[in-house]
Amino acid sequence: MTFKKLLLTTTSALVLTGAAQAEDYVIGVMSAQSGYLAPYDGPAYAGFQFCVDQKNAAGGLNGEYMVKTIVKDTRSDIAEGVKVVQEMLDDGAQFIVSSADADPTIAAAQITMADGIPTMTFAGTAPVLTQVGPHVFGSYPADNQQGAVLAAYARDQGLENVYLVKSPDSAYTLGGPEYFGEVFESLGGNIVGTSNYSLNQPDFSAIVTTIKAAEPQPDVIVTWAWEPDFPAFIKALRGAGLDTQVMGGDVLDTPTVRGLGDVVDGVVHTSGGFPDEGSDYAKFIDDFKAATGTTPDNNYYVNGCDIVNMIEQAVAAAGSTDPVAVTEAMAEIENGKGIMSDFTFKGTDRMPLRDVVVARITGDGEKEFVKRTKADPATLPKP
Amino acid sequence: MDLIIQQSINAISLGGVYAMLALGLAIVFSIVGLINFAHGDIMTFGGYGIFLSLAFGMSPVAALAIGIGAAVVMALTLERTAFRAMRGADVVTLLITSFAVSEILKVLFQNTISARPVPISFPAAWSGTYEIGGATIGVVPTVSIIVAFVSLLGLTLILRRTATGMAMRAAAEDLEMLKLLGVRANRVVAMAFALSGLLAGIAAVIWTAQRGSVDPMMGFFPVLKAFIATVLGGLGSLGGAVLGGFVIGVLEVLTQAFLPDGLSPYRDAIVLALVIAALLWRPDGLLPAQNANRS
Repeated sequence: MTFKKLLLTTTSALVLTGAAQAEDYVIGVMSAQSGYLAPYDGPAYAGFQFCVDQKNAAGGLNGEYMVKTIVKDTRSDIAEGVKVVQEMLDDGAQFIVSSADADPTIAAAQITMADGIPTMTFAGTAPVLTQVGPHVFGSYPADNQQGAVLAAYARDQGLENVYLVKSPDSAYTLGGPEYFGEVFESLGGNIVGTSNYSLNQPDFSAIVTTIKAAEPQPDVIVTWAWEPDFPAFIKALRGAGLDTQVMGGDVLDTPTVRGLGDVVDGVVHTSGGFPDEGSDYAKFIDDFKAATGTTPDNNYYVNGCDIVNMIEQAVAAAGSTDPVAVTEAMAEIENGKGIMSDFTFKGTDRMPLRDVVVARITGDGEKEFVKRTKADPATLPKP
Repeated sequence: MDLIIQQSINAISLGGVYAMLALGLAIVFSIVGLINFAHGDIMTFGGYGIFLSLAFGMSPVAALAIGIGAAVVMALTLERTAFRAMRGADVVTLLITSFAVSEILKVLFQNTISARPVPISFPAAWSGTYEIGGATIGVVPTVSIIVAFVSLLGLTLILRRTATGMAMRAAAEDLEMLKLLGVRANRVVAMAFALSGLLAGIAAVIWTAQRGSVDPMMGFFPVLKAFIATVLGGLGSLGGAVLGGFVIGVLEVLTQAFLPDGLSPYRDAIVLALVIAALLWRPDGLLPAQNANRS
């Protein structure tokens, strides 16, 4: 969705909000239009609004509640995010959808805590984000689920020694490799070294040289680095002549990473979903493309849509739009119906238990399906 | 020993990029007193030039040339449209202007190209390795070192052996006197911006070859480091900027390579603390300009 369209939607939503009727359900949306979150919030919001429009065209949530959205730009700035959340609450928001990362979600959840307004992140995956309070929800498979599934897959492939590359600058880039390492060791693997990097680090050659000198040599390197750090890392790694297997989190599931060419051939990563032929996900892609002209090229679009499905099912179970009732109903959902995958909040710490896909990038810039499974809740690493 | 050779190559390679960017900042600062924080966006524009050229099916070598050319054109455009009108304003006004220009360019990149990084895929043969004394050295870092040194040498020759270069050095000493002597100041200043754009374009080539993607923020962080390098070397000192660039590059790689894991989150803080210590020791920088601007 272009910025102009977003402004138009936002403006019309704000006008409509002013005239909201009692049966309307008002959802406030934090959506960064600039800064580091824009690549994730943008697609997630596009998918979210697409499905809101679909629901409203069919008579609203469960045919009862027309959804009114208040959409505000946070510029990827946490202080700005806190401000716009307060504004949206003042404008009557009954549900807040927060940016696609743990840190802005945690900040937003501090504001929504007093009124118990349910708050759900677009795609934040660090399981610590729900620790703020019982009103906070994840929507995407959490890092510990992804780490556990990927570690089990790595052990199944006979890989024994892992080198972890992580950044303490964000919960995501730190947590993912650590969860992987914890499960990998519990399954009999060894961590042969770790390196820390800074977000937007200019150069990865020193880390690569350290990996080359590791003894014993790793047979897999795991990182949850995102763009532009991952492209820089993999270029430095392959440029130094190391062809070690590399694995990473769902953030590698992007056309940018796949477009890097030979250097990413064989890289394995987790993902929230895979559009198998004939699946609901494949139909979503076709419908979205037909309606907007844009082809969803990552999972944030469909996950944005699934957030609407989660809200609808919680409101149906609650039997009302009361924030506390919706929160309690959301936490009890079991095998809820989603498009990317089904979801269960019951028995979790409100990071939904969902399918985790393992995929492999091919040299021609495509990704191929490897496996789909759920993490075992009993063995999940604790946040 | 292999480890030391490889980390030394890494350090010189990174230092070379910082040195080129720092020199680009220093050339402009020495003449018009502008600390140009849009310099990073000029570098980014060069990166997008490479990306778009490849996207339109041009050969990688042609794409690199276009990327460098794009950076030069952008530098000249900014000089003519934004900075010439502000010439003579105080340093703070110029600094704020450069921040504003930088922000405008970032938003334009984001909304007209992409908010997320776009990939740049060079031929696989460009990222090979070779062996020296048992150490495996990457082709890209080696080429980047050679390109950096050739660029710095070429610039030195231009500044010392050509009439334009001498005019630029004279402008750095006293722009008003240069005008009184009948030299066209606008041309000299534009030449300085063109050279800084050229260096930013070359840095963009090396950077994208090493990192594989371009995003709206690509130039911001290396230019921030380059700015620190110019301060460390001595604001307005061309030699100081080069020295500062290499010092920062070496410090970053050494701290990354040899700090224990527990201290690694403090890496940037340690590098900056060392810079502060150096400035306490030599407040005008390591190689201060003759008309030194104390940092």
